[in-house]
Amino acid sequence: MTHLGDRLSALVDGELDGAERDRAHAHLAGCEQCRAEAAELRALKRKLRGLTERAPAEADMTRRLIAITGPGGPMPPRRRLMRLAPRPPAAPAAPAARGTRRPGLVRRVRRRYVVLGTVSLVVGLGTAAFSAGGGSQVVPGPRITPPVEMYSVEHAITTGQVPFTGPSDKSVKPSAVASDPDATQP
Amino acid sequence: MFALSCPEGRRRDVRPPLLLAAALAMAAPGLLLTACSAQAGSASQATASAARSAPSQGAAKRPGNARAARLLTQAAQAAILTSYQGEEIVSHWGSSGATIVVSDIWHASGGQTITRTLAAGTQVSGGAYLSADTDGQWPEGVLGVTTPLVRLLEAHYTVVYVGSGAADNRTAQIVDARRDDGSLAARFWLDTTTRLPLEREVFDSAAHVISEDVFLNVRITPQGPSAAPVGGVAVPAGPWPDPLSAPQLLSMRGHGWLIPPGLPYGLSLYTGALAATSTGTVLDLGYSDGLSVVSVFEQRGNLAAKLAGWQKTTVAGHVIYAAEPDQRSLTWSSRGIVYTVIADAPAQTVDAVVGALPHDTPPGFWKRMSRGLARMASWANPFH
Repeated sequence: MTHLGDRLSALVDGELDGAERDRAHAHLAGCEQCRAEAAELRALKRKLRGLTERAPAEADMTRRLIAITGPGGPMPPRRRLMRLAPRPPAAPAAPAARGTRRPGLVRRVRRRYVVLGTVSLVVGLGTAAFSAGGGSQVVPGPRITPPVEMYSVEHAITTGQVPFTGPSDKSVKPSAVASDPDATQP
Repeated sequence: MFALSCPEGRRRDVRPPLLLAAALAMAAPGLLLTACSAQAGSASQATASAARSAPSQGAAKRPGNARAARLLTQAAQAAILTSYQGEEIVSHWGSSGATIVVSDIWHASGGQTITRTLAAGTQVSGGAYLSADTDGQWPEGVLGVTTPLVRLLEAHYTVVYVGSGAADNRTAQIVDARRDDGSLAARFWLDTTTRLPLEREVFDSAAHVISEDVFLNVRITPQGPSAAPVGGVAVPAGPWPDPLSAPQLLSMRGHGWLIPPGLPYGLSLYTGALAATSTGTVLDLGYSDGLSVVSVFEQRGNLAAKLAGWQKTTVAGHVIYAAEPDQRSLTWSSRGIVYTVIADAPAQTVDAVVGALPHDTPPGFWKRMSRGLARMASWANPFH
């Protein structure tokens, strides 16, 4: 009795046409050895089909890993200039093409510029306010340049000395003393 | 009583009773000092600090030589009662150099005085000046010998008659003023005949001469001054009225003025006056120990941003402004009052006086930031 041989795998794969498939089934009905081989082939085929069904998910994982590392090599080490910026969320899985900027990176750069600008503004404004806040406390009132000449006259009289001041427009007659009759008496 | 800008009618010599005037002159400073002392408790911290360093305001005369005290009193009265003319040279040596003022003086007995500054060394020469002291209570005096200052001198120093000598080719009586430690503070040469002061020397505590004043070419003119200055005389700038009475001066405290009864180195408040200027009222306070005289001027407001003729300097640890060229006038502002100090006193006294008066303390960080933001906001306000 001739066994099915190579036709058995063709039967399991569904590659036999009508007459050959009928003759193969008739043989399997009477040959226990070929039935057992056919059963093993079907079991192996199911296992292989199961493997092939998980393969797409793993391929997707691989693409995402490639997208993270980028085509030009790994990203430079992250430098956190300020702790004011929160840690960015995990990068979404998205395919990256060579030469294009990723949206997450752009947002981080923009955020850094905003933080840096804000800090610069605060420091500059604070420095300016500190400088402007110096000096004497100014309270409401006139701005005064002390009249030294006027003060000197008063001080000279206070000291019992003669005043030394510039000419004034409040002149009186030269003979003011001599003309006073009482003033000439001893 | 003196007035520099009183009406013309008041300049006329009304010839008051001279003895009564002299008695008033003797009593006024004592009354003022006593009244000021009673108010010391309500003064500011600076006032209290100054008062601690000042001697008892109502101190009686120190145990000195009676003859010396009598000579000084007679000298102060002689400056009023005697008719004279002469040339006065006032030299003062300070930390910034020397100041020399030369003036001609004409004085009629019991009446007014004309002074004309001829040359002034580092000072600007001035024109002739007519006093308006009609009652002799606040005379300009000669060489700083006036009745109020003699009273203070006797209260703060020991006056001693030294003997006779000569000055300006005239015989003179010499009187010393000595400190508690016996060091010489000042020496006076008083004319033997008229008691007019002829020369005065003032020494600091290190025995350095800080002031030397002489009255030269003195002519006693019983019939009055023989020659008035040519070209007219002038009332000096400054509308200073009569000095305030003691109650008036003390009442000023209730209006926000700082009126310390004393300043360091025994300087006592002995006179004060108010004057109106274009920028407001000015209060003048005169302090002295009989030799050193410090005038403190107060005016409400703030110093101008740019002070022409002034330069920054540091006195007693405070950055203030000194008037050029002799830096004899010092000014700063604190809490809405501009203080100006003019002193005829040793440098250490000036430093202590400046340190005793109010100064703005540097603001804290947040206060300075707040003030700066407010200023910047005002700069940006177009309606400010």
